[in-house]
Amino acid sequence: MTAVTERPRTTEAPLAPRAAPPRRRTSPERVAAGLTIVALLVASIVALRSVEIDPARMLQSWSNAERFFGRVGAIEFPPLAELLQLTALTLGLVICGTLLAAVLSVPVAVLAASNTTPGPVWRAAARFVTVLARAVPDVVLAMVFVLLFSLGTLPGILAIGLHSVGMISKLFADAIEQIDEGPRTAVRAAGGTRLQQFTAGVLPQVLPSWVATVLHRNDINLRGSVILGYVGVVGLGMEMSFAFKSLDYGLGLGYALVIFVLCVVMEIVSSSVRAAMLGIAPTGRGLGDRVVRRATRRRADGPSAAIVTETVGRAPAAPAAPAAPTVDAMLRRPWDRTRVRNTSWGLIAGAVVVASVLVCDIAWSDLVTVWGGVPAVAVRFWPPSFGSYEASTMVAAMGETIAIALAATLLTLVASIVIGSLAARNVAPSRGMRSGMRLLLVGIRGVPEVILAIVLIVVTGLGTQAGTLALALGGIGLLGKLLADSFEEVPAGPERALAATGATRLQVYAGATLPQGLRALVGHSFYMLDTNIRAATLLGIVGAGGVGYYLLNASQGSNYGAVTAIVLMILVTVLAVEGLAMWMRKVLR
Amino acid sequence: MTPHADPAETVVSLEGITKRFGSTVALDGASLSVRRGEVVVLLGLSGSGKSTLLRHVDGLERPTSGTVRVLGRDVTGLSGRALRELRSEVGFIFQQFELVPSLTVLENVLTGSLAAVRGPRLGLWSYGRAARAEALARLERVGLLERAYQRADTLSGGQQQRVAIARALMQRPQVLLADEPVASLDPESSDQVMALIREIAVDEGLTVICSLHQVDLALSWADRIVGLRHGAVVLDTETEGLSKAQVMEIYGRVATSTDQLAAIELELAGDAVR
Repeated sequence: MTAVTERPRTTEAPLAPRAAPPRRRTSPERVAAGLTIVALLVASIVALRSVEIDPARMLQSWSNAERFFGRVGAIEFPPLAELLQLTALTLGLVICGTLLAAVLSVPVAVLAASNTTPGPVWRAAARFVTVLARAVPDVVLAMVFVLLFSLGTLPGILAIGLHSVGMISKLFADAIEQIDEGPRTAVRAAGGTRLQQFTAGVLPQVLPSWVATVLHRNDINLRGSVILGYVGVVGLGMEMSFAFKSLDYGLGLGYALVIFVLCVVMEIVSSSVRAAMLGIAPTGRGLGDRVVRRATRRRADGPSAAIVTETVGRAPAAPAAPAAPTVDAMLRRPWDRTRVRNTSWGLIAGAVVVASVLVCDIAWSDLVTVWGGVPAVAVRFWPPSFGSYEASTMVAAMGETIAIALAATLLTLVASIVIGSLAARNVAPSRGMRSGMRLLLVGIRGVPEVILAIVLIVVTGLGTQAGTLALALGGIGLLGKLLADSFEEVPAGPERALAATGATRLQVYAGATLPQGLRALVGHSFYMLDTNIRAATLLGIVGAGGVGYYLLNASQGSNYGAVTAIVLMILVTVLAVEGLAMWMRKVLR
Repeated sequence: MTPHADPAETVVSLEGITKRFGSTVALDGASLSVRRGEVVVLLGLSGSGKSTLLRHVDGLERPTSGTVRVLGRDVTGLSGRALRELRSEVGFIFQQFELVPSLTVLENVLTGSLAAVRGPRLGLWSYGRAARAEALARLERVGLLERAYQRADTLSGGQQQRVAIARALMQRPQVLLADEPVASLDPESSDQVMALIREIAVDEGLTVICSLHQVDLALSWADRIVGLRHGAVVLDTETEGLSKAQVMEIYGRVATSTDQLAAIELELAGDAVR
């Protein structure tokens, strides 16, 4: 069995890093990378001062918030029937959008993967599509589509679908590039066409990762659907935005709570599906993954353990006891456990898809008629201009967005180093401390950032402070978990060696754990900054500061030239940060 | 040297094949001709060019120079459908089996019939009933019928290689190529697999070219042994009446008569490439 997994070609890999000469450390690129980190740290500290986070004022406004909540009274909910209908609509819309992206991502990924692309030009084009789709926020797409389609679910579906193509096809292309080429060569050697090589040799290998990515993206899209409601995409998000706009905070918070619960439930469901259908052990950092992991672990001690021994025990006995099966008998596939399970999952998945399409009540004819309106709309979006806004105001707003992202990343980083370290098995002073911290991180992860921002706006008032704190708090859930995992993964040798010399716990941490985890820490922080820049551009839409506010204003004021100009600004920023992050990853690898 | 066979009966013929990968020379003017029904073993160290030679027979590699003729066709001149047709008549068994781990055993066997159908096939039921029946019969032939609906990765290495043999048979090949088919197996599975290949070769009148590195096994198994060194054929003789000592002697003398330093270097290079 080991022979199957231990491929000879892997023996090269572990040798490479060891062979690298140590003087690589002083290369000018690494110096530049180091300086960049310092510059970003300084910029973050400056940004932190500029976003006006003032603990004294926050304490003061906290008492305001208490009074406010007292005045608002209890959280309200809409009538149950309406709530259920809205929930179904939101879920259906998100699932349809994700499905659209899932389908579109297949050809894009095939063209983008180095081992399946027909040529370098195709590959570059597909990579460009991937990056562009990821960089253009779904909110912006929704703004355009709302204008084109005016009503219905299509704007939301198309916005989610086109934006999600970026992430899904990127991860799918990565998966295709990592396949074992052997089975594909076998099909080639048997005379299969290129298409057959792909469907028989490549697809079965990457299908699990594709399904997992799509499910994961569906979770993200459900969170994102909240903000789509602000630009006119139907569903729970839109109702929530209406409630807040009409200052009905009780109802607004009621919707927020429903969305929060929905997000958590969806994450649990998608984790279960991933675990059950694909046999992938949930290793994710979401709340759902945790629940599923716990549940399956419990089950493993119970009945399924018996099943395992039963099947294992039966294997050698099988040829002896019953008469050998015949070809004719074997033509009918027996309804064994696997087949029943696979068929059930297939039927459930099919039912969910059909239900989603039905509940969305898609106006298919719009897809044909819409093209007539495209030139008129396109003209309104072009040329880009800031219109009534001063260019300096816009640049300042973009600067504010970047400041929010930087400040939030810094706050997240500081808090995550503390919480993440305490959540790491090899650092935490006690098991209880570790479990407590892990639970805290999971809890934070469960809250969609937009909901966090909306609640914070209620508490601290409109502005950059709410946005920064929302991103900073939300980020702890992700970065804290990533850091805790990285700390747990450092080689234990140096820690033991230090402990053996009589070093204190803190000395071991500072002398062995932290230095070894530093590279991961830098990498994760850049990932966080990249994520935060994207999120910060949108938080302004709910009133949490930055360029998003002007984006929404321009769109609602039919000032579409300004929308284009702002989007271009966002694009440049996002691509620049992504480029920087990629360069840093390459240099510091 | 082997007596030259009737040219009509020659199914595989390589003439002066040289293959370079960048600056490395994998094959250096290798020539080989195999008659129908012959069971030939290629012997040689890692990096001596055995795999590359086999891959040329199936048109998976194109020679830098020289000609490859298989089943009466010039492989180097083939492309597209004609090349796929040739490949479908030549079965290939790999050291690492190269099954799709997540698919059932039966579906893995069925992929051997892809060249006979048009377009992609997704799932078991996209293959016709006749194809499924044939695949099950092939599985019965290799003794794994009752495993048909198990995932391929639940099988042991020896069983997986037998599935791979069934897959190759599904092509209804005339020539069977095997690249170190037992190098990843324990001795017992190894014997089973080699015996199976030999049996099937006799039953179906297949021409077999198999690369190995165990001299003992090669002697007891093959009709003819071809030794490769530096990408060139340095030994080509019938096994009948040949003793292990003789092979080792011839084989060893070839190795030492050339520049020993170069030989060691090549050995190291071969291991690094692997």
